[in-house]
Amino acid sequence: MNFSKKNISMPSLNIKHYKNDRLFMNKKIYCLILFSTFIFSCEDVITVHVPVAEPRLVIDASINWFKGTSGNKQQIKLTLTAPYFDNEIPPVNNAVVTITDANNITFAFIEEGNSGIYKNSTFRPVINGHYDLTIITNGQTYTAAETLMSVSSIDFVEQKNDGGFSGDQIEIKAFYTDPADEKNFYFFEFINDIPTIPTLEVYDDEFTDGNQIFAFYNEEDLSQGTSLTIRNYGISERFYEFMLILLQQSGNDSGGPFETKPATVRGNCINQTNPENFPFGYFRLSEVDEVEYTIN
Amino acid sequence: MKYNKAFLFFIFLFNLSTLTSQEKFTLSGTVSEKNSNETLIGATILVPELKTGTTTNEYGFYSITLPKGIYKIVITYIGFDDIIETIHLERNISKNFGLLETSESLDEVIIKENVEKLNIRKPQMSLNALSAASIKQIPVVLGEADVIKAITLLPGVTNAGEGSSGFNVRGGAADQNLILLDEATIYNSSHLFGLFSVFNPDAIKDLKLYKGGIPARYGGRVSSVLDIYQKEGNKKEFHTNGGIGIVASRLLVEGPLKKDKASFLFGGRSSYAHLFLPLFDLDNIAYFYDLNTKISYKLNAKNNVYISGYFGRDVFSIPDSFENTYGNTVVNFRWNHLFSDKLFSNVSLIYSDYYYGLKLDFVGFDWNSGIQNFNVKYDFKHYLNNTFKLQYGLNSIYYRFNPGKIEPSSPTSGINPIKLIDKYAFENAVYIDTEHKITEKIALSYGLRFSTFSRLGQDELNIYENNQAVVFNEDFQIYESAEAISAETFKRSDIIKSFSNLEPRFSLAYQLNDQASVKASYNRLSQYLHLLSNTSSPTPLDVWTPSGKYIKPQLLDQFALGYFKNFNAYSLEVESFYKTIENRIDYIDGADLIANDAIERVILNGKARAYGLEVLVRKNKGRFKGWLAYTLSKSQQQTEGRTVTELGINNGNWYNTPYDKTHDISFTGSYEFNRKWKFNANFLFQTGQPTSYPTGQYEFNGITIPRFSDRNENRLPSYNRLDFSIHYTPKPTKKRGLQGQWVFGIYNVYNRRNATSITFGENRITGVNEATRLAIFGIVPSVSYNFKF
Repeated sequence: MNFSKKNISMPSLNIKHYKNDRLFMNKKIYCLILFSTFIFSCEDVITVHVPVAEPRLVIDASINWFKGTSGNKQQIKLTLTAPYFDNEIPPVNNAVVTITDANNITFAFIEEGNSGIYKNSTFRPVINGHYDLTIITNGQTYTAAETLMSVSSIDFVEQKNDGGFSGDQIEIKAFYTDPADEKNFYFFEFINDIPTIPTLEVYDDEFTDGNQIFAFYNEEDLSQGTSLTIRNYGISERFYEFMLILLQQSGNDSGGPFETKPATVRGNCINQTNPENFPFGYFRLSEVDEVEYTIN
Repeated sequence: MKYNKAFLFFIFLFNLSTLTSQEKFTLSGTVSEKNSNETLIGATILVPELKTGTTTNEYGFYSITLPKGIYKIVITYIGFDDIIETIHLERNISKNFGLLETSESLDEVIIKENVEKLNIRKPQMSLNALSAASIKQIPVVLGEADVIKAITLLPGVTNAGEGSSGFNVRGGAADQNLILLDEATIYNSSHLFGLFSVFNPDAIKDLKLYKGGIPARYGGRVSSVLDIYQKEGNKKEFHTNGGIGIVASRLLVEGPLKKDKASFLFGGRSSYAHLFLPLFDLDNIAYFYDLNTKISYKLNAKNNVYISGYFGRDVFSIPDSFENTYGNTVVNFRWNHLFSDKLFSNVSLIYSDYYYGLKLDFVGFDWNSGIQNFNVKYDFKHYLNNTFKLQYGLNSIYYRFNPGKIEPSSPTSGINPIKLIDKYAFENAVYIDTEHKITEKIALSYGLRFSTFSRLGQDELNIYENNQAVVFNEDFQIYESAEAISAETFKRSDIIKSFSNLEPRFSLAYQLNDQASVKASYNRLSQYLHLLSNTSSPTPLDVWTPSGKYIKPQLLDQFALGYFKNFNAYSLEVESFYKTIENRIDYIDGADLIANDAIERVILNGKARAYGLEVLVRKNKGRFKGWLAYTLSKSQQQTEGRTVTELGINNGNWYNTPYDKTHDISFTGSYEFNRKWKFNANFLFQTGQPTSYPTGQYEFNGITIPRFSDRNENRLPSYNRLDFSIHYTPKPTKKRGLQGQWVFGIYNVYNRRNATSITFGENRITGVNEATRLAIFGIVPSVSYNFKF
């Protein structure tokens, strides 16, 4: 019958499902119970013919100022959308990329070869500083504006070895302290050195204002000696909303009767020449705290 | 004032028909099962001499008024021996009939006619009736007989796929069904995400599903009415019946409290699959249970009282991390009173609630939400004469909504306690409904319901600039939540916002000949409550919210036209319908509906439409019984921009609802080899559900993002499935002592992996994009044992 055994033993039903929302009021929780209740259910990878839309510009303008560094070296990546099952993502070459700060200082980003990666090494990050991004490519001008957001440091990392649904998975909690009486938003990145894709999470402080709270990470292949890079980025409310939808739509764990309807996700970049031909991606500026952690 | 005029018009009609009196007398009473005194719903009282008759109502009561004379009266009910009695109607007569179950000789096959036989004379159309017996025959997954699974085999009824809660009628949403259990509203009809419904099949006497032409006595939901009555309990002797299945077991005890006067019924059902989880080395718990109770007391010939209750819960728990409990509670007191032999009344006092609780230990919080209501109904059935029947009444419901409450579950928790603001509302309705036989060939049913809804005072209702809680960001072309400019606190007795709606209902039947008729209907319904859910199928944690300052009530208009024919053992029903719904709520992208204290900030008012054609061929008697249903339909919704500069949802275009299935074919049948062996089968074919496939991909922040365009543009592969079951009754003639029956079933015989969903994502290890199909049920064998004594 080839029903996947994993739903019977359930190790793959990890708490990763509980992502996105500190409250974990996520409907995915139900997917998880649903699958664990229906031991007859099975998942398999199939071939599907999907439609292909015209390519569009994708702006990955993520300016990251790691705490304790100058933040001078920054890069912006420009690509095009590709058919869903393609293995190659085409870069966008020869674009003119600049960021202008509140003092009207312009930082030019120069492409490295034909990589679609544009670099600058004189960038001057300022907390709460206002920045404007301009990209000119293919005769069209794209702009975006955003503020550089500060972030709380990661206080400590806690490891639990008997977590998950099967009770034998490694769970990581990265604690931080939320500043009281203001709205804060967090973007966490968990990168490991085993070959799995990174885990991204976004959190708000609606129910945790002013408290010490944690970001949660669980990856079934974690083992002793795995080294983890945990990054906490300060983000704006708009980026939080944007990333929340993006993560809901990109998750391999989504789906089932409780999935939300996917839709086009628009970021903060505008095509000034032809607004209809809007780009994907986002112009974000964050202060970042990074912690290296080895699983013990 | 115009409402009063409409009411006067009805009073006028009412008088008109009473004035035309000659010397007439009324025969009235109840029809019940002789052995148990269980009243029979829909038993027929025929007067062959006058080619007329009537049927018993939900409480087994009938009343028929005839000119003075001597009549041969025939009382019939399917599966029971007819009673033929001569009545000297020279005064008003009150007479109760007790029918005996048809007794068969040893080797005779039961050739029962089906209870659900089509009534071509009545104007009521778009109605499907199912008896508990036929529900129990239908093969189901894991062998647990189920009300909702049975009705989804009917034309025009579907659901959002396996493992989804609720059901969808004629392209309507799951929250648009009025589900009544002994007249009390049930807010969540599913256990274990739709694997089972909350109705214990042993406790059910009768169910009716109104898909259109909905009578004026019902209101509050726009799509359908599922009206379920529980048994009263045996007034003569004690009986027990039950069943043992692989997932759940049930037991029902009934008997007299006072012989022929009072009876009780107590039923319980529970799943126990979780007991086996430790075998897989799991401490997780997932189970459900429900309890049904009822006490019936016949005070005298004119008064009956009923007290009934339902309590059900689903429980999921993972030790030290997670505990989830939810379910319905219903308590119901009803009093039937006969004002005269022509005027039947029923008062219902109903309390019902839905509770949802979630405790997450590893995050450190407790969450609960729910809805409570108090409901008073006063209904009259007025049997004026042979050709004119009147129903009228009133209904008041008081609601309290708890959108959510969060508490830290331990002192070290990083969660702050929060109570979302409770909401209150008061819904009232008066209605009048007629059944009017104009000529031998034409029968009409017309009625009017006048409903009002008042959103009562609450704390801190947000106020927004220009009264817009959702704003459109023209730069980014997206909808965003507005910031409140202030908040207003009201007294509980204040009315923040009120609505009123006139809901006309009209049906007509024209009899072509003895066997065939055409029917047409129109109805308008309003719905003041909305279930907040932006997933394909509702989840248990979805909360109900009332209409108010920012959310408008849903308004439905439905037209239906049908052709109905009985021929030999068969019946044919062909119906087409068209309906539109105004103010169907839709959600902005990324809307977070849970623990949202200002839900209006993520909601836009849209609309919905559905149309279709339904064909039902049914065989009602013989060794083989069953039906074949085909539905061709379309169900869509649209949310346009409020101004020309706004984009709307899905660019303001119509898009398919998640339960839109173009073609839906269901066959269900049972064949009785002999009295020991019975063979049942289902076959289903449905167009795949709408879904969205990505039109591309892009890279952002190190991960691959699928690019989506229009909503529900694509479809899952078509759904099809074949199920079998065999009923084996070792001693079919045994009528005393323990009587048992085995049910062996196979669900999805050819093990088709019907996709419940296809999700697109990166392979966790390789990062390569892939499409993953989820199939909930492959082939599932089952065995269960049912018994009674």
